[in-house]
Parts: sequence; C-alpha cells; structure tokens
Amino acid sequence: MPNNNLDDYLKAANLSREDFAFVEAGQIQADRIPDTPPIGFFRDAMRRFGRNKASVLSLAVVVLIAFFAIVGPFMDSFTYRQQNVKWDKLPPRVPYLEKLGIFNGTAVLTVQKANIETDYKIGYIKTIREHNIKANGLDVPMADIVVDMYKLKGADDVYFWLGSDGLGRDLWTRLWRGARISLAMAFLAVFLNALIGVIYGAISAYYGKNTDLFMQRVIEIIGSIPLLPLLILFIIKFGTGIVPIVLALCITGWIGMANLIRSQFYRYKGREYVLAAQTMGVRDRRVIFRHILPNAIGPAITQTAISIPEFIMAESMLAYLGLGIQAPEASVGVLLSEGQQVLFSAPHLLLFPAIIISLLMLCFNLISGGLRDAFDPAQRG
Amino acid sequence: MFKYITQRILLMILTLFIILVMTYFLVQSVPGGPFADPTIKPAVRAVLNRRYHLDQPIWMQFLQYLKGLSHLDFGVSIKVQPQADVFKMIAARFPVTIQLNLLSNLVILPVGFILGILAALKKNSIVDHSIQIMVVVFISVPSFVLAALLQYIFAYKLGWFPITFSTARHMNLEKLLSMVLPVLALSFGGIAYIARYLRDELSEVLNSDFMLLARAKGLTMRQAVVRHALRNALFPLVGMILGIFITVLSGSIVVENVFAIPGTGRLSLAAISSNDYPLVMANVLLYTAIGLFARLILDLAYGLIDPRVTVGGGKNAE
Repeated sequence: MPNNNLDDYLKAANLSREDFAFVEAGQIQADRIPDTPPIGFFRDAMRRFGRNKASVLSLAVVVLIAFFAIVGPFMDSFTYRQQNVKWDKLPPRVPYLEKLGIFNGTAVLTVQKANIETDYKIGYIKTIREHNIKANGLDVPMADIVVDMYKLKGADDVYFWLGSDGLGRDLWTRLWRGARISLAMAFLAVFLNALIGVIYGAISAYYGKNTDLFMQRVIEIIGSIPLLPLLILFIIKFGTGIVPIVLALCITGWIGMANLIRSQFYRYKGREYVLAAQTMGVRDRRVIFRHILPNAIGPAITQTAISIPEFIMAESMLAYLGLGIQAPEASVGVLLSEGQQVLFSAPHLLLFPAIIISLLMLCFNLISGGLRDAFDPAQRG
Repeated sequence: MFKYITQRILLMILTLFIILVMTYFLVQSVPGGPFADPTIKPAVRAVLNRRYHLDQPIWMQFLQYLKGLSHLDFGVSIKVQPQADVFKMIAARFPVTIQLNLLSNLVILPVGFILGILAALKKNSIVDHSIQIMVVVFISVPSFVLAALLQYIFAYKLGWFPITFSTARHMNLEKLLSMVLPVLALSFGGIAYIARYLRDELSEVLNSDFMLLARAKGLTMRQAVVRHALRNALFPLVGMILGIFITVLSGSIVVENVFAIPGTGRLSLAAISSNDYPLVMANVLLYTAIGLFARLILDLAYGLIDPRVTVGGGKNAE
C-alpha cells in the first residue's frame, strides 16, 4: 500500500524509481554541489515570465512592431518624405485584399447629385442613398456615392497600403518610420531616467542624514512643478529635435526610480555584508554599485518596464500638442496630431497611428505586469 | 499638529517661490518674445515693449512682478487678450475646467468602485478577467486618442452628441450633452486605476485573518465585506482621489483642445504658444499651487483617517 502511494507521487512529479539511487550510510551529502545546473535569480524570473501567456504574446507583438519599424519603410516604393500633392488623402488600398472588398481604395462621399455625371464620373461605382438638403431656400438633391478614389485622382496603378496623408505621402512608410522614432525616444528616455534615478536614489540613501534631507527637498520641489507646462516651455526653448524632447522627458521622469532605489537602499545598507565591505575599506562607489545595487535591482527592472509606456504616452502627448519632432520626420504622436486635424475627411490617418500606439501601450503594460510577477512573485495579485 | 501644519505651509510657500523664480526666467529666456512677429514695425515694437516694461533689464521686471504679486496683481495679458486682467481671465475659465473635472470624478469613483469590488469578489472568474482586460485597455489607450475616437464615432458618425463643447452660459440639455464625450475621455484612465487598485487591495484584505474571524463569529459574507474588508481597503483611496483630480486636471489640457472647451488648459496652451509672459506665469502658479495644496491635504487626511499614521513624525522614518 505505501509503495503504491510512492508510485503515485513519482508519477505526478514525472519521475520513476530509476531516478533514485541508494546512498551509503556514512556518505556525507550536505556539501556536495548538485549535478543539475543551478538556476539563478534571473533564470528563475525568466522562467516565470515565460509561463505568463499574455506577456509572452505582448513581447511577440512588440518585437513584430519593432521589426516593421526597421524594415517597414523599405517595403514599398515610397519614401517618408516623398510628396504627391495630387494624390492626397487617399484611402488604404492593398493588392489582393482589394478583391475581397476591404482596403480597396474606395470612399463614401456625400455630393450634389448633379455633380455625379461631371466631377465624379471617372471613379463612380454606385449610389447608396439619395436625399435632399435645404440651401438658400432651395432643395438640393444630394447623394451618398461610393467612389474609387484612386481612379478619381488618377492613381490607377498606385497602392498606398494604409492610404496617403494630406500631402500625398505614404502612411505605411511614415507610420513605421514614426514608430521607429517613438520607440527610440522612449527607450533613450527610459535609459537616461533609470540611470539618473539609480545614481540619485543610491547616493541619497547611502549617505543619509543631511544629504538625504537636502536631496529629498530637491525632489519635492521638482516633483511639484506642473509637468506639462514645464515640458512645453522646455521644448519651445530648446527646439523640437529628438535630443531636446528626450531631455525634457528627463526633467521629472527619474523621480519614481530615485524613490524606489532609495527605499531599497535603506533596506539593504544596514546588512552585515555592507558593514563587512566598509570595514575592509572598500570605497563607497564600489559598495553602492557592487554590493548593494545588485540586491536592490529587481523592483527597479519592473519600474523601468512600467515607465516605457509612460514615456511613449508623454512623447505622443507632446507631439499631439504640436511640439513633436520636426517635419518631414514624424513620430507616432505627430501622425496622430496630423490625423486629428483631418479626422472627419480622412479618418484612416488617425486610425492607424492610434492602433499602433494603443498596441504598443497595451503590450508594454502587459509585459511590465508579467515582469513584476516574475521578479516579485510575492506581490502577485 | 498645529506646528506641523504651519511648517508645511511655510515649506509650501518656499517651494512655490522657487518654482516661481525658475519659471519666470525660463519663460523669459524662450526665444522670440510676444512681439517677435516680423510684420510688426520696429518702432511699434519698441512702443509695445515699453508699454509692458519689456525694455527694462530682466531683474527689474522680475522685481516689479513680485511687487504686483504681493497685492495679488498678476498683471495684464499681453497677447492672448491684450490688456485684460490675467486674474479675471483665469477666474472666468477655471470654473469650466473644475466643472468637467468634478463631473469626471463623479463618473470615475462609482464606476471604478463597482468594477474593483466586483473583480475582487469574483476573483479569477470570467467577470474578473473581463474587468482586468478592460482595465489594461483603459490604461493603455491615451486619453487624447480616446477623445478623438469618441468624437469621430459618437459625434461625427452617429451624431448622438455635439462635436464641440457648448459655450451656453447656463446649464441646458445641449450643454449637458456636449459635456458627455469630454467627461468620458477624461474618465477612462481614472476608472481603470481605481478598479485595478481596489481589486488588488480588496483581494488581499479578503484573505486576511480578521476576515476569517469575522466569518467565524457568524457574519455573512456580505456583512463581513461591507463592515470589515471595504473599510480597510478604502482608506488609501483618499490619496488616489486627489491623485486622480490632478491627473484629470493635466489630462484636460489636451482634451480641452480636442473639444474646443474654453477652460484653463486651453488658455495655458494659447499663452505658452504666444509668449504671453504674465498669463503663462499665472497658469503655472495656479497648477503648482493646486498640486502643492492637494499634497498637504492628502498628508493631513491620512493622519485623520488612519490613527496608525502619525503626522509630523520622525524625519528619517523609513
């Protein structure tokens, strides 16, 4: 009976009796290194991360977007700055898909019925609905018609996969190029902020006392400036290139990381190994970065991942307010802001950038959630 | 307690002053100036500059500005609405922003509450999962994207709501309808934050010993949740409400722009883009003061609500 029970356990653990061997009575097992490779903190965390399906899927989507951000602009024949003013605001049109009735370059226009035969003759496909509107006391017959915009604007053999913007530039190319710039700026800002935050928080907590008090007051002052007006002023002063925008995002972006590292350092700086290092005369810098920091870094990684979507959002918000990167370059935020201006006549110009930025935000949020669970399993909700 | 409050208020004024100085010189150092328009003749520009004391050295201007501030004179607008009193301009627009903000909070709190409690009580069920998905989506989609999408779908395509904000003086149906979309756009983020927070906090509290005790002494689940769990989960929410108030306030800078709402957010943008120095200063001071004040109230409120928190405790409490 007890044997059966053992077999059940072994089966449940995917083991068999052959995996075990008898040990001599006098043999010491305690100090022997096990044959299986050791699983470190990071390996363990990565294993936990891998089990979170939503996070892994998100990571795949981000990698896909990053891939397109690199090769996307070269996939069709347009460049990001090539203007074709005659072919402005064309709806999306993709070869093969167009035969299925989607992405076929048609649009519904509301026009005067009298003009169908003259102005819209070339691309006219069918009439959906006829109605009258009153103008100057007269009934004007109107019609909602489906028009092949590509034929109408003389672009028969042209394919703008995601449509074209107000200057006839290809949205596909611009969108991926924009995603590239947005991602680059976000990562640069995240890296700089993490660096500043770690150093600031570490110094503040490690030296403590008056240093800490003073550095905390500085954080308090910087943190209580209303962010958006400050960002706007900063960018107006220093211009709208990649560097000024990233620097602007670094004004207050590091505070969260500094606070986190500070509280982590307070937890670890009183430990015996720190005291031991100090007693043996290790320099402060080495104690901070070699002895304490590696122990305190777990939550910091999560914090970094969480701040990526925040910076993407902040950058696009600035761009949306007209403080984005300068034309002809575009970030996703700039494209959104351009799309907003022609929202009612060419909704695709807002829709596709909106999808990309929402996907990026969503995926980074899910990834950071997965990282948090992986690095700090105790906190899992 | 009294000593602590005085200390905090003094510190607040010091902070405000430092920010005032920083902003003043940052604003003045922005290239251009209010009359940089090349079509203005140099002679006219000189007259205009003299009228607004812009020809004096910058520290003289600063001293004059401080002198005005000491009797609550924020100066006059230079560019946005020439010669208009800045204080009155902000006073006219601030209620609109606050109104929208409060309405958003009225939407955020109950909805966030209900969703959070539901998710915690039905943890790991289909209800919980769908609420979780909604929360991630709401947090992920930027408020200005939401604003634009709402405007396109519900105002332009379906025509249920007006496209822009109604400027009618008194509240009527049309004005109320025109507020729906901006309020929604401002609310989604807050709803998600409250729901996510309440779910995590409440599900932790539900597993605590005192809940077991409450159930063991014979309370029903509902009684135990309402009397014991909620009270413990709710108290940190006070802090979040102020946080959400501030977030909505800065979010409204963009949303006001999308829906053409005449509030302070739009005013600050106009002021900044036209280098209207006094107006920029007044706006920055307003937002800073609100932020600082909110933080003070928050710290005091914690002490009042939760007896475990001692206000004005040790400096290096960790």
